[in-house]
Amino acid sequence: MSTKKILLVDDSCTARLVNRMIFSQKTNYVLISAVDGKEAVERAQREKPDLILMDIVMPRMTGLEACRALKKDKETEKIPVILLTTRGEEQYVQEGYASGCSDYLTKPVNDVELLDLLKAYLGE
Amino acid sequence: MIGNGNGHRPPVKTPRRIEPAHGISIAPTGADDLRLRVQQLSLREQLERNHFLLERLNASSARLIQTLENGDVFEAIAEIVANLIGSEEVAIFDYRPADETFSLAWSWGVEAGDLQPFESGAGMFGRAVHQGLSQFRERQPDAALLPFEKNLTACVVLKSSREVVGVIAIFGLLPQKNGLEWADYELLKFLETYAAVAIQFQRLQEKQVAS
Repeated sequence: MSTKKILLVDDSCTARLVNRMIFSQKTNYVLISAVDGKEAVERAQREKPDLILMDIVMPRMTGLEACRALKKDKETEKIPVILLTTRGEEQYVQEGYASGCSDYLTKPVNDVELLDLLKAYLGE
Repeated sequence: MIGNGNGHRPPVKTPRRIEPAHGISIAPTGADDLRLRVQQLSLREQLERNHFLLERLNASSARLIQTLENGDVFEAIAEIVANLIGSEEVAIFDYRPADETFSLAWSWGVEAGDLQPFESGAGMFGRAVHQGLSQFRERQPDAALLPFEKNLTACVVLKSSREVVGVIAIFGLLPQKNGLEWADYELLKFLETYAAVAIQFQRLQEKQVAS
Protein backbone atom coordinates (compact mmCIF):
# COMPACT_ATOMS: atom_id res chain seq x y z
CA MET A 1 0.00 0.00 0.00
CA SER A 2 1.64 3.28 -1.05
CA THR A 3 1.79 6.20 1.35
CA LYS A 4 -0.07 9.36 0.43
CA LYS A 5 0.87 12.79 1.70
CA ILE A 6 -1.98 15.12 2.60
CA LEU A 7 -1.52 18.81 3.34
CA LEU A 8 -4.10 19.98 5.85
CA VAL A 9 -4.56 23.76 5.98
CA ASP A 10 -6.62 25.35 8.73
CA ASP A 11 -6.03 28.21 11.13
CA SER A 12 -8.21 26.44 13.70
CA CYS A 13 -6.22 24.20 15.95
CA THR A 14 -9.37 22.22 16.79
CA ALA A 15 -9.97 21.48 13.12
CA ARG A 16 -6.38 20.29 12.69
CA LEU A 17 -6.66 18.10 15.78
CA VAL A 18 -9.89 16.42 14.75
CA ASN A 19 -8.72 15.85 11.19
CA ARG A 20 -5.54 14.26 12.49
CA MET A 21 -7.70 11.86 14.47
CA ILE A 22 -9.90 11.09 11.49
CA PHE A 23 -6.86 10.33 9.36
CA SER A 24 -5.39 8.13 12.05
CA GLN A 25 -7.96 5.51 10.94
CA LYS A 26 -5.93 5.15 7.76
CA THR A 27 -2.37 3.96 8.06
CA ASN A 28 -1.28 5.00 4.58
CA TYR A 29 -1.92 8.75 4.98
CA VAL A 30 0.88 11.02 6.11
CA LEU A 31 -0.40 14.36 7.28
CA ILE A 32 1.46 17.66 7.09
CA SER A 33 -0.17 20.94 8.04
CA ALA A 34 -0.18 24.67 7.50
CA VAL A 35 -2.04 27.39 9.37
CA ASP A 36 -2.91 29.75 6.52
CA GLY A 37 -3.00 30.00 2.73
CA LYS A 38 0.43 31.55 2.38
CA GLU A 39 2.11 28.78 4.33
CA ALA A 40 0.04 26.24 2.38
CA VAL A 41 1.34 27.48 -0.99
CA GLU A 42 4.92 27.42 0.27
CA ARG A 43 4.59 23.92 1.73
CA ALA A 44 2.85 22.59 -1.36
CA GLN A 45 5.63 23.91 -3.61
CA ARG A 46 8.26 22.43 -1.34
CA GLU A 47 6.70 19.11 -0.40
CA LYS A 48 4.39 18.25 -3.32
CA PRO A 49 1.55 16.61 -1.38
CA ASP A 50 -0.83 14.18 -3.10
CA LEU A 51 -3.84 16.18 -1.96
CA ILE A 52 -4.62 19.43 -0.15
CA LEU A 53 -7.49 19.81 2.30
CA MET A 54 -8.00 23.50 2.99
CA ASP A 55 -10.20 25.86 4.99
CA ILE A 56 -11.39 29.08 3.32
CA VAL A 57 -11.47 31.77 6.00
CA MET A 58 -7.89 32.16 7.19
CA PRO A 59 -5.52 35.04 8.00
CA ARG A 60 -2.78 36.30 5.62
CA MET A 61 -4.13 34.39 2.60
CA THR A 62 -7.57 32.81 2.30
CA GLY A 63 -8.17 29.30 1.02
CA LEU A 64 -9.63 30.69 -2.21
CA GLU A 65 -6.57 32.86 -2.87
CA ALA A 66 -4.27 29.97 -2.05
CA CYS A 67 -6.19 27.65 -4.35
CA ARG A 68 -5.90 30.14 -7.23
CA ALA A 69 -2.15 30.51 -6.58
CA LEU A 70 -1.67 26.73 -6.54
CA LYS A 71 -3.56 26.30 -9.80
CA LYS A 72 -1.45 28.98 -11.52
CA ASP A 73 1.80 27.26 -10.61
CA LYS A 74 2.89 24.45 -12.96
CA GLU A 75 4.49 22.61 -10.03
CA THR A 76 1.29 22.41 -8.03
CA GLU A 77 -1.55 22.83 -10.54
CA LYS A 78 -2.35 19.12 -10.67
CA ILE A 79 -2.64 18.60 -6.91
CA PRO A 80 -6.33 18.12 -6.04
CA VAL A 81 -7.56 20.74 -3.58
CA ILE A 82 -10.59 20.02 -1.41
CA LEU A 83 -12.01 23.04 0.35
CA LEU A 84 -13.30 22.17 3.81
CA THR A 85 -15.11 25.04 5.45
CA THR A 86 -17.95 26.24 7.65
CA ARG A 87 -19.17 28.36 4.72
CA GLY A 88 -21.92 26.33 3.07
CA GLU A 89 -23.68 29.21 1.31
CA GLU A 90 -24.10 28.85 -2.44
CA GLN A 91 -22.01 31.95 -3.13
CA TYR A 92 -19.00 30.43 -1.33
CA VAL A 93 -19.45 27.07 -3.04
CA GLN A 94 -19.48 28.76 -6.46
CA GLU A 95 -16.44 30.86 -5.56
CA GLY A 96 -14.71 27.72 -4.35
CA TYR A 97 -15.16 25.89 -7.63
CA ALA A 98 -14.24 29.04 -9.57
CA SER A 99 -10.93 29.14 -7.69
CA GLY A 100 -10.09 25.73 -9.13
CA CYS A 101 -10.85 23.40 -6.23
CA SER A 102 -11.68 19.79 -7.03
CA ASP A 103 -14.29 19.38 -4.30
CA TYR A 104 -16.03 21.30 -1.56
CA LEU A 105 -16.98 19.94 1.87
CA THR A 106 -18.68 21.73 4.72
CA LYS A 107 -17.95 21.51 8.44
CA PRO A 108 -18.73 19.88 10.78
CA VAL A 109 -16.97 17.16 8.89
CA ASN A 110 -18.37 13.67 8.60
CA ASP A 111 -15.60 11.05 8.88
CA VAL A 112 -17.09 8.62 6.40
CA GLU A 113 -17.81 11.30 3.82
CA LEU A 114 -14.31 12.74 4.13
CA LEU A 115 -12.50 9.41 4.01
CA ASP A 116 -14.59 8.24 1.05
CA LEU A 117 -13.75 11.41 -0.81
CA LEU A 118 -10.05 11.02 -0.11
CA LYS A 119 -10.23 7.41 -1.25
CA ALA A 120 -11.81 8.57 -4.50
CA TYR A 121 -8.88 10.91 -5.15
CA LEU A 122 -6.03 8.89 -3.70
CA GLY A 123 -7.14 5.29 -4.10
CA GLU A 124 -6.80 2.75 -1.27
CA MET B 1 0.15 -24.84 29.00
CA ILE B 2 3.38 -25.74 27.24
CA GLY B 3 4.53 -29.31 27.97
CA ASN B 4 3.40 -31.50 30.89
CA GLY B 5 6.43 -31.21 33.19
CA ASN B 6 7.97 -34.60 32.39
CA GLY B 7 9.95 -33.49 29.41
CA HIS B 8 7.40 -34.65 26.95
CA ARG B 9 5.26 -32.31 24.97
CA PRO B 10 1.57 -33.05 25.24
CA PRO B 11 0.14 -34.70 22.21
CA VAL B 12 -0.64 -32.16 19.60
CA LYS B 13 -4.32 -31.87 19.04
CA THR B 14 -5.09 -31.41 15.44
CA PRO B 15 -8.30 -29.61 14.73
CA ARG B 16 -10.75 -32.05 13.23
CA ARG B 17 -12.89 -30.74 10.51
CA ILE B 18 -16.42 -32.06 10.76
CA GLU B 19 -17.65 -32.87 7.35
CA PRO B 20 -21.32 -32.35 6.67
CA ALA B 21 -23.40 -35.45 6.14
CA HIS B 22 -23.54 -36.42 2.54
CA GLY B 23 -25.74 -34.11 0.57
CA ILE B 24 -26.09 -31.45 3.34
CA SER B 25 -24.43 -28.12 2.62
CA ILE B 26 -23.21 -25.88 5.49
CA ALA B 27 -22.32 -23.03 3.13
CA PRO B 28 -24.41 -19.98 4.09
CA THR B 29 -27.55 -19.58 2.12
CA GLY B 30 -28.44 -16.25 0.57
CA ALA B 31 -30.57 -15.36 3.61
CA ASP B 32 -27.83 -16.41 6.07
CA ASP B 33 -25.30 -14.40 4.16
CA LEU B 34 -27.54 -11.36 4.26
CA ARG B 35 -28.09 -11.80 8.01
CA LEU B 36 -24.32 -12.00 8.59
CA ARG B 37 -23.74 -8.89 6.58
CA VAL B 38 -26.40 -6.98 8.49
CA GLN B 39 -24.86 -8.10 11.80
CA GLN B 40 -21.42 -7.06 10.59
CA LEU B 41 -22.69 -3.67 9.48
CA SER B 42 -24.36 -3.11 12.82
CA LEU B 43 -21.16 -3.97 14.70
CA ARG B 44 -19.12 -1.80 12.40
CA GLU B 45 -21.52 1.07 12.94
CA GLN B 46 -21.24 0.71 16.73
CA LEU B 47 -17.46 0.99 16.53
CA GLU B 48 -17.57 3.88 14.09
CA ARG B 49 -20.08 5.84 16.16
CA ASN B 50 -17.98 5.42 19.25
CA HIS B 51 -14.84 6.41 17.38
CA PHE B 52 -16.60 9.44 15.90
CA LEU B 53 -17.48 10.67 19.38
CA LEU B 54 -14.08 9.93 20.88
CA GLU B 55 -12.30 11.80 18.09
CA ARG B 56 -14.32 14.88 18.89
CA LEU B 57 -13.93 14.59 22.64
CA ASN B 58 -10.22 13.99 22.23
CA ALA B 59 -9.74 17.00 19.94
CA SER B 60 -11.78 19.20 22.30
CA SER B 61 -9.86 18.05 25.32
CA ALA B 62 -6.54 18.63 23.56
CA ARG B 63 -7.67 22.12 22.56
CA LEU B 64 -8.73 22.96 26.12
CA ILE B 65 -5.38 21.73 27.42
CA GLN B 66 -3.64 24.14 25.05
CA THR B 67 -5.49 27.05 26.65
CA LEU B 68 -3.57 26.45 29.88
CA GLU B 69 -0.52 27.85 28.10
CA ASN B 70 -2.14 30.10 25.53
CA GLY B 71 -4.77 31.76 27.73
CA ASP B 72 -7.31 31.64 24.91
CA VAL B 73 -10.08 29.63 26.51
CA PHE B 74 -12.99 31.56 24.98
CA GLU B 75 -11.53 31.31 21.48
CA ALA B 76 -10.99 27.59 22.07
CA ILE B 77 -14.63 27.06 23.07
CA ALA B 78 -15.80 29.00 20.01
CA GLU B 79 -13.49 26.94 17.78
CA ILE B 80 -14.87 23.71 19.21
CA VAL B 81 -18.44 24.87 18.71
CA ALA B 82 -17.74 26.11 15.16
CA ASN B 83 -15.77 23.14 13.90
CA LEU B 84 -17.39 20.27 15.74
CA ILE B 85 -20.93 21.39 16.52
CA GLY B 86 -21.54 23.80 13.63
CA SER B 87 -22.33 27.30 14.90
CA GLU B 88 -20.49 30.57 14.51
CA GLU B 89 -22.74 32.46 16.91
CA VAL B 90 -21.53 31.90 20.43
CA ALA B 91 -21.68 33.90 23.64
CA ILE B 92 -20.28 32.98 27.03
CA PHE B 93 -21.87 34.41 30.16
CA ASP B 94 -20.87 34.54 33.78
CA TYR B 95 -23.62 33.83 36.27
CA ARG B 96 -23.78 35.45 39.68
CA PRO B 97 -26.07 33.37 41.95
CA ALA B 98 -26.24 36.14 44.59
CA ASP B 99 -28.34 38.41 42.38
CA GLU B 100 -29.24 35.81 39.74
CA THR B 101 -27.75 37.83 36.90
CA PHE B 102 -25.84 36.95 33.78
CA SER B 103 -23.13 39.16 32.35
CA LEU B 104 -21.47 38.70 29.01
CA ALA B 105 -17.90 37.44 29.29
CA TRP B 106 -17.16 36.95 25.60
CA SER B 107 -19.01 36.67 22.31
CA TRP B 108 -18.38 35.75 18.70
CA GLY B 109 -20.69 36.27 15.74
CA VAL B 110 -23.48 37.87 17.79
CA GLU B 111 -24.26 41.50 18.59
CA ALA B 112 -22.74 42.04 22.03
CA GLY B 113 -25.03 45.08 22.44
CA ASP B 114 -28.06 42.78 22.57
CA LEU B 115 -26.54 40.79 25.40
CA GLN B 116 -26.24 43.32 28.21
CA PRO B 117 -26.37 42.04 31.80
CA PHE B 118 -29.78 40.58 32.56
CA GLU B 119 -31.62 38.70 35.26
CA SER B 120 -32.09 34.99 34.81
CA GLY B 121 -35.85 35.37 34.21
CA ALA B 122 -38.21 32.75 32.83
CA GLY B 123 -36.53 31.90 29.56
CA MET B 124 -33.99 29.28 28.60
CA PHE B 125 -31.20 30.91 30.58
CA GLY B 126 -33.37 30.94 33.68
CA ARG B 127 -34.37 27.31 33.31
CA ALA B 128 -30.74 26.34 32.77
CA VAL B 129 -29.58 27.83 36.07
CA HIS B 130 -32.65 26.89 38.10
CA GLN B 131 -32.58 23.27 36.97
CA GLY B 132 -28.78 23.14 36.76
CA LEU B 133 -29.21 21.49 33.36
CA SER B 134 -28.35 22.51 29.82
CA GLN B 135 -31.36 23.49 27.76
CA PHE B 136 -31.90 22.68 24.11
CA ARG B 137 -34.44 24.42 21.96
CA GLU B 138 -35.32 21.39 19.85
CA ARG B 139 -36.08 19.30 22.93
CA GLN B 140 -38.57 21.88 24.23
CA PRO B 141 -39.83 23.74 21.18
CA ASP B 142 -42.83 25.18 23.04
CA ALA B 143 -41.05 26.40 26.17
CA ALA B 144 -41.12 30.14 26.95
CA LEU B 145 -38.33 32.28 25.55
CA LEU B 146 -37.17 35.81 26.33
CA PRO B 147 -36.99 38.15 23.31
CA PHE B 148 -33.23 37.82 22.80
CA GLU B 149 -33.47 34.01 23.09
CA LYS B 150 -35.45 33.65 19.86
CA ASN B 151 -32.50 32.38 17.86
CA LEU B 152 -31.02 30.34 20.68
CA THR B 153 -30.21 26.69 19.92
CA ALA B 154 -28.66 25.68 23.21
CA CYS B 155 -27.90 27.04 26.63
CA VAL B 156 -25.07 24.93 28.00
CA VAL B 157 -24.50 25.29 31.72
CA LEU B 158 -20.93 25.65 32.94
CA LYS B 159 -20.62 23.86 36.26
CA SER B 160 -18.03 24.07 38.94
CA SER B 161 -18.50 21.71 41.91
CA ARG B 162 -22.10 21.21 40.77
CA GLU B 163 -22.85 24.94 40.87
CA VAL B 164 -23.72 26.80 37.71
CA VAL B 165 -21.09 29.48 37.17
CA GLY B 166 -21.94 30.46 33.63
CA VAL B 167 -23.53 29.52 30.37
CA ILE B 168 -22.39 28.93 26.80
CA ALA B 169 -25.15 30.24 24.57
CA ILE B 170 -25.18 28.78 21.08
CA PHE B 171 -27.38 30.80 18.77
CA GLY B 172 -27.94 29.99 15.08
CA LEU B 173 -26.46 26.85 13.55
CA LEU B 174 -24.63 26.90 10.22
CA PRO B 175 -27.02 26.67 7.23
CA GLN B 176 -25.85 23.15 6.36
CA LYS B 177 -26.56 21.92 9.90
CA ASN B 178 -30.16 20.87 10.41
CA GLY B 179 -30.06 20.36 14.14
CA LEU B 180 -28.02 18.98 17.01
CA GLU B 181 -27.10 15.32 16.75
CA TRP B 182 -26.35 12.69 19.40
CA ALA B 183 -22.59 13.34 19.28
CA ASP B 184 -23.21 17.08 19.71
CA TYR B 185 -25.13 16.47 22.94
CA GLU B 186 -22.29 14.31 24.26
CA LEU B 187 -19.71 16.94 23.36
CA LEU B 188 -21.76 19.68 25.01
CA LYS B 189 -22.01 17.53 28.15
CA PHE B 190 -18.21 17.35 28.14
CA LEU B 191 -17.99 21.15 27.82
CA GLU B 192 -20.35 21.65 30.80
CA THR B 193 -17.58 20.51 33.10
CA TYR B 194 -14.29 20.92 31.29
CA ALA B 195 -14.89 24.28 29.62
CA ALA B 196 -15.85 25.55 33.09
CA VAL B 197 -12.61 24.18 34.55
CA ALA B 198 -10.55 25.78 31.78
CA ILE B 199 -12.29 29.14 32.24
CA GLN B 200 -11.70 28.98 36.00
CA PHE B 201 -8.04 28.22 35.42
CA GLN B 202 -7.65 31.18 33.09
CA ARG B 203 -9.39 33.52 35.56
CA LEU B 204 -7.03 32.44 38.34
CA GLN B 205 -4.07 32.97 36.08
CA GLU B 206 -5.28 36.45 35.16
CA LYS B 207 -5.67 37.27 38.89
CA GLN B 208 -2.19 35.99 39.55
CA VAL B 209 -0.73 38.15 36.79
CA ALA B 210 -2.67 41.19 38.03
CA SER B 211 -1.51 40.86 41.65
